[in-house]
Amino acid sequence: MVTKEEVKRLSWLARIELSEGELERYTLQIEEIVKYLDVLDTIPLEHVKPVVAKKKYADLRPDESSGFEGNALGTKYRKDGYVKGPRMV
Amino acid sequence: MALYTLDLGQVAAGIKSREFSAEEYIYQLLERIEKVELKVNAFVSVNKEALDKARVIDKKIRDGEQVGALAGVAVSIKDNICTKGIKTTCASKMLETFVPPYDATVVKRLYDAGAIVIGKTNLDEFAMGSTTEFSRHGTTRNPWDINMVPGGSSGGSAASVAALECTVSLGSDTGGSVRCPASFCSAVGLKPTYGLISRYGLVSYANSLEQIGPFGRTVSDVVSVLNAIAGADENDHTTAEGKPMYSLRERKGLRVGLVREFIEGAEPTVAKVVHKAVDTLAREGCRCEETSLASVQYALASYYTIATAEASSNLARYDNIRYGFDLSPEGYEWNSYFARVRSNFGEEVKRRVIVGSYVLSSGYYGKYYLKAQQVRSLLKRELKTLFEKYDVLIGPTMPILPFKIGEKIDDPLKMYLVDIDTVVANLAGMPAVSVPAGFADGLPVGLQIMADEFQEQTMLDAAYLFEQAAKVQRSPEL
Amino acid sequence: MDTKIGLEIHCQLTGVKSKLFCRCSCDYRGMIPNANTCPTCLGLPGTLPLLNQKAVEFAGMISLALGCKVPDEIAFYRKNYFYPDLPKNFQLTQYNAYGITSIGVEGRLEYGDADKSARIRRIQLEEDPGRLVYEGGSMETSVYALIDYNRAGVPLVEIVTEPDFADPKDVRLFLDKITSIIEHLGVCDTKLEGSVRCDANVSVGGGNRVEIKNVSSFSDVEKAVRYELTRQRTMASRDIEVRSETRHWDEARKVTKESRTKEEEQDYRYFPEPDVPAVVLESKFVSSLMQSMPELPDARKERFISKYGLSAHVAQVLIDNKEMADFFESAIKIYSSPKEIANWIVTDLLSFVDERRKELDQSLFAGLKIEPEHIADLAKLVDQDTINRATAKQILGQIVRTGEMPSQVAEKMQAGKIDDAGALAQAVESVFKAEQVAVQDAKRNPNAANFLLGKVMQLTKGRADPNAALEMIQTRLKEA
Repeated sequence: MVTKEEVKRLSWLARIELSEGELERYTLQIEEIVKYLDVLDTIPLEHVKPVVAKKKYADLRPDESSGFEGNALGTKYRKDGYVKGPRMV
Repeated sequence: MALYTLDLGQVAAGIKSREFSAEEYIYQLLERIEKVELKVNAFVSVNKEALDKARVIDKKIRDGEQVGALAGVAVSIKDNICTKGIKTTCASKMLETFVPPYDATVVKRLYDAGAIVIGKTNLDEFAMGSTTEFSRHGTTRNPWDINMVPGGSSGGSAASVAALECTVSLGSDTGGSVRCPASFCSAVGLKPTYGLISRYGLVSYANSLEQIGPFGRTVSDVVSVLNAIAGADENDHTTAEGKPMYSLRERKGLRVGLVREFIEGAEPTVAKVVHKAVDTLAREGCRCEETSLASVQYALASYYTIATAEASSNLARYDNIRYGFDLSPEGYEWNSYFARVRSNFGEEVKRRVIVGSYVLSSGYYGKYYLKAQQVRSLLKRELKTLFEKYDVLIGPTMPILPFKIGEKIDDPLKMYLVDIDTVVANLAGMPAVSVPAGFADGLPVGLQIMADEFQEQTMLDAAYLFEQAAKVQRSPEL
Repeated sequence: MDTKIGLEIHCQLTGVKSKLFCRCSCDYRGMIPNANTCPTCLGLPGTLPLLNQKAVEFAGMISLALGCKVPDEIAFYRKNYFYPDLPKNFQLTQYNAYGITSIGVEGRLEYGDADKSARIRRIQLEEDPGRLVYEGGSMETSVYALIDYNRAGVPLVEIVTEPDFADPKDVRLFLDKITSIIEHLGVCDTKLEGSVRCDANVSVGGGNRVEIKNVSSFSDVEKAVRYELTRQRTMASRDIEVRSETRHWDEARKVTKESRTKEEEQDYRYFPEPDVPAVVLESKFVSSLMQSMPELPDARKERFISKYGLSAHVAQVLIDNKEMADFFESAIKIYSSPKEIANWIVTDLLSFVDERRKELDQSLFAGLKIEPEHIADLAKLVDQDTINRATAKQILGQIVRTGEMPSQVAEKMQAGKIDDAGALAQAVESVFKAEQVAVQDAKRNPNAANFLLGKVMQLTKGRADPNAALEMIQTRLKEA
């Protein structure tokens, strides 16, 4: 059962502010979706191992440093090089 | 001559031999875009510098300099693939002002081949959707019937190719987002084996599932683009080694398996077209028979668990601090600022991020995410067994015909169900291509052809064989 | 009372050149804010993590040095949480709840006088976040936060111990050993600001566990743990329940404080990072590391004992500080007299250490104008009987201030011992003439010769070789 409270908690976890209307609407839709996903519980999967992508240690990136040419930050809210962020408390 | 109707081979040859100039060709395309865009709305932005780039190519050719295989060819790029200096919005408010300081590897390789980016195409926000209706820039319309959806999430890419606004396009496919709009728009759309094409520069939605894929009006065009962009990339550690090249080949006696679960799940109008396609293949010397892929019934649940889980994490970075849209952080406490700016995601994105947070949250990992990953294993095993018997597996790309804009938008789960035929290839990491199979009620139907991992050549052999035999119309009157 | 202390040590791999997942430099200290960044460490859309091979190598060395098992495969997980210093709002780290993926598990480290040991639960590789700075210096009053991402993505190795410590002193000894090891390995320069950090988990009498964060130096860890133990024991004695919480170490007031920001139950939603494939460490990964790894302090100590014949005590003192051990080995390369040189360093040179400068410069011999050459030279002079020990000590006292070579000073002092039998004979003659009563005494009583010896030493201002002088005196006594 996915309740409104649950959706509210999850939206906080995801830092997404929802309006009361959205909360109502999404709760119903998400409940339906999650119920559909529950089919996963019915599958016999005891001896199935997940596929894992692998890479050899020798193929990892060599330790060389290089700078980035250009401006990678896309905000105009800066001060003395720092990026301005909202206050912490 | 209507240069915008030519396919890639003709364009590249014509420009190189100076039969016509790249400038003339691009100019015609820009005119064409202006003419039809109001009806189609395939583009988020058109590249103002395209004409200049064309002139550069022309000069190089005049001066006898070396130019690449795709010199002058106009490509449209889905707006979730980073283009340096060109706005890349993912059809989202969250990237409203984002101009990437770097090119995606695929874009760089296209430039190296001499191609010209003519514009960025429309998509469902952050590639989440199957109709391109979840976009800030309005929905793209199906060029075959502008009241119908073009498919998604790469709807703009497919429509731009079908509507002759460009010659080829690049999209991305996480659960069918290249093949679905290809099917709905009567284009060729290919999703490669996971790891064949670099994802560096593709804005992540579900990174263990997605790949960039080319669109064209012909199999040959798709092969040309594939050859330009596929291959290992040191900037993407999930790419496979090597630089494969593909060609158009005559292939006799292909063993073809028609997946029962796909054909039985399709609407009768769609199934009819697909059965006819099977007949065509048989006539061309293929050995066709029906077969079964039992795990299909779990595929959608597995897909939406993994996709939403990864999306919820991949989209966490959009907090408007380093890039985004213009909203000063001053005056806000940081949690409120984050929650406020992120309320600007569209509905579908918000839903998926919340579902994703749910399936990953404490205590649920074993129940959903782990199980979903195990299902992938199961599917892959089953497919591998089938590919010992068959060269390719086929079925309808979509279980339904293109539908009216707005028809499924209020029922998310119903919308998810249309992906049933396409998610399998993403879950297994195997290649799949949609080729135009015909029409039903005047609307396009696509045939999906799947092959084992890294067996793109075999898959393309089947696609080319079918295309040459079926000769389905590729662009509507617009 | 049943005291349990566990440690979580973070050490930056300052020894690698580039960040853990991108090519930006690790040498960010002193750079303009955000000058040391790129699309990848800033978490720009479309960027992908590229794992640094050397970071895996260094983390592997640390694991082996701490006696851990290194698994055949390692993997990375996402730890999802929001914070302004985290560019992607998740941290790439390692996680063992669904199977071992971290670079080291189940280790053990002996420390102190090898009579104590602590178990290592796990060792993991992860990325450092950026830094938050506040206008006006205070988090509470600042209108906005200022973010510097130069540090974001620098590789960290986290060492998590079992709660095997019961005494804050042991914590200090353990951390000293860790410091010595990572310095010997060359993976982390512990003198750099912020390169090593340590959190501690403390509980008493089976009560709730308190985590102490924000301890910025190893020396403060002992103090913080001591304070917290006192706090908890006091509460227990008053039957007040200790809450399970995170407390911050206030460096200025030397107390642990309740956390300002309510750190709610965090749901990190860990899952494997799809963009970083699991790394297969072939069997030769461990074996080749064991071979090529720099010598560990314990092995070095063994070598000092077996190869150079040093006593266990002297060897231990030398390796307790890598600088001293390095100094010793440089000196014996110049002049091979291990026991002599070791003694000079451990007994005499140490007494000249300037504690204040040592703290300031984070270097044992800071402020002393002394190099291995000096000690080598001094030892040589003593060995060759050119000067005696007392004189050598004098010279040492001088050269730590001036930086002159001992042989120079010795020459200046004319402090060469009077080997010349002639000069010695003259001195003995003078004394015999001047101390005739003593001479008669000595003829009868051999022990009284020492008085004469003393006089000869006095006359020669201590430069005479006492043995040679005594011999000459005894011969002379027999003659007379």
